[in-house]
Amino acid sequence: MPKTDYIRETHHEFLEASADALTNPGLQQILGRLGDSLGKKNREAWEQLPNSDLVRERARTIKDETLAELDTHLETLEKSVLSRGGKVYFADDGEEACRQVIDIIQAKGAKKVVKSKSMTTEEIHLNHALEVLGIETVETDLGEYIIQLAGHRPSHIVGPALHLSAKEVAEILSKPAGESLPVEREVLAGFARKQLRMNFAQADVGISGVNFAIAETGTIVLISNEGNARLTTALPKTHIAIMGMEKVIPKLADLPYFLKVLARAATGQKLSCYTSLITGARRDGELDGAEDFHLIILDNGRSKILGSPLRESLFCIRCGACLNACPIYRSIGGHAYGGVYAGPIGAVLTPLYDGLAANKHLPHASSLCGACQAACPVKIQIPDMLIQLREQMHHEPALKSRLESLAYRMWAMTLRRPWMYRLGSWLASRTLGWWKRKDRWLKRLPGKLHGWTQKRDFPAPAPTRFRDWWDNEGKQP
Amino acid sequence: MSRESFLSRVRQAAQAGSAYRVHLHPVPPEIGYVGAAGDLCDRMAEEVDAVGGKAFRVPDLLAARELLATLLEEAAAKSALCWEHDVLDRMGLREFLQSRGVVRHSYESLSQHDFPAQRADMLACDIGISSVDCAIAETGTLMVCSRPGQERVASLLPPMHVAIVERQQIVPDLIDAFALLHQRGLDKLPSNIALITGPSKTGDIELQLTTGVHGPKHWRVILVG
Repeated sequence: MPKTDYIRETHHEFLEASADALTNPGLQQILGRLGDSLGKKNREAWEQLPNSDLVRERARTIKDETLAELDTHLETLEKSVLSRGGKVYFADDGEEACRQVIDIIQAKGAKKVVKSKSMTTEEIHLNHALEVLGIETVETDLGEYIIQLAGHRPSHIVGPALHLSAKEVAEILSKPAGESLPVEREVLAGFARKQLRMNFAQADVGISGVNFAIAETGTIVLISNEGNARLTTALPKTHIAIMGMEKVIPKLADLPYFLKVLARAATGQKLSCYTSLITGARRDGELDGAEDFHLIILDNGRSKILGSPLRESLFCIRCGACLNACPIYRSIGGHAYGGVYAGPIGAVLTPLYDGLAANKHLPHASSLCGACQAACPVKIQIPDMLIQLREQMHHEPALKSRLESLAYRMWAMTLRRPWMYRLGSWLASRTLGWWKRKDRWLKRLPGKLHGWTQKRDFPAPAPTRFRDWWDNEGKQP
Repeated sequence: MSRESFLSRVRQAAQAGSAYRVHLHPVPPEIGYVGAAGDLCDRMAEEVDAVGGKAFRVPDLLAARELLATLLEEAAAKSALCWEHDVLDRMGLREFLQSRGVVRHSYESLSQHDFPAQRADMLACDIGISSVDCAIAETGTLMVCSRPGQERVASLLPPMHVAIVERQQIVPDLIDAFALLHQRGLDKLPSNIALITGPSKTGDIELQLTTGVHGPKHWRVILVG
């Protein structure tokens, strides 16, 4: 069993976790499907959208323009929600957001909360904050429900229980069932449906995330395939929605463009099964829907990103396409990354939210192949941002490796003195180059340098230097 | 206090961030509209089937009623959660359900009960019957808006949802559905709008499709005309 609830802080633990994941046959089989069956569905869905590239460009434009005047749009959103009887809270960080949620729940005297899937609540560790106060919190997305029972973290933005096989799911669900459930997906889903229906019927409060918030109308948009987001907002008397502040879009007319690209990128559907537009609490005379509506707008480090060269990371609509496209994610899965958000966008977001110092490994957890950027429905330039983060690490002395600095200083010294460079290359070709003239790969470099050869071979220098070859043979016509 | 400091921090950050705005190409306004060529009813039926539902074509409301009889049997329905809607009235749904011995729960009957009884009735229904605000042919989507008498749970709680859609309710594209909301006026936006495209689905177990996890497992659309 790979480690599933563990924040990895150093590069070496990341490598260990990756090595574990690579030798886990069950995980490898599931990850393989991301590229095969899901990748094919994604491509087919995009083919049915003419000029899809320009539609993505439009979605990107809307995000860019909104962020340029984010404060104005947030104020408009606030006004619209208030005018429809909702309440709005601004939270500087996760702790404040958790406290606001707790205050609302306690003011209602509520005992039981149902949640629909939300990465933002994962980011602020809301479940833990509620549980220590004895507020029963039930995740209702099937994947989230499974990992909540197992005590795992989500391994994928869209499919949080992606790392588990059907057999493992059956074992996990058999505990609350009190009997051994068969390894059949329909039976397992049926059991979860029955259990969760009971919880929906009893819960006093429903907590959801927000996929989009429309400023001009005060509408929040929730997207799901299972329908749990609809149940969470239709049955309990109180609805609390928590949004990262970058989720606002100015107009209702902007929404269809995002809907058209989101599901295609995420699951290869033209539209997800359920898109809910919720505008305030239920109106007079209605029999379902929450009686009161609360919207919490979260900063938690986002304003710092907004003013930085990495502001584009705030375009992210959390579709998971970059994870599915990434050769690294598809090899090691989500948990090895160690943060709340995994995959390429996680490698950008986690250091930004959580600090580079604790996540030094993440900017390097990429081959910079660019598949993530190509898959992104809003074309975020993820490889560029990873390079910028790598650069930032070199401006922070605390994050620099001394050995690496020494190596670069020596390299610079050598390059400035041609005689030293010539001498160095002559020595290397006459010693290493000559010894390794048959098998040209070094399996192990000495001392600390072995860090590099742990996962790859190092090419040995050629027995004849280019400059020697050129002098002897090359320049003859 | 936190509100003011929050917004002023965002204002400063947004201004500082403007230096890093991305290079953008202007996009013509028509981009993104796909639409549906040919007969809208044909296309709607095709797309409903493609997303895992079942579409039925009938010439008129009388035929729709006959078809509904077979669906009631399929769902072994003893009780139905129904919208109050012009299309359902013209179809004579109330009398029809009565004649088949199916208990009809609707706004009228539900609102006479107290909350727990109401909730129990809603949760126990075997079939949900509604019409739509509009249907979107290109994606096979139903747009349903909540109002008293048009409950959101009708398309959500029962294991089977049947929607009766008349030809003139179908629009070609998602963008047309949003234009309809604009026409009605943004100040009249209902408390809940659901865009429904298929039966309830999940891929959470090994990325394999499993239906009916929270919402209806059986999704039927009767297209009239």
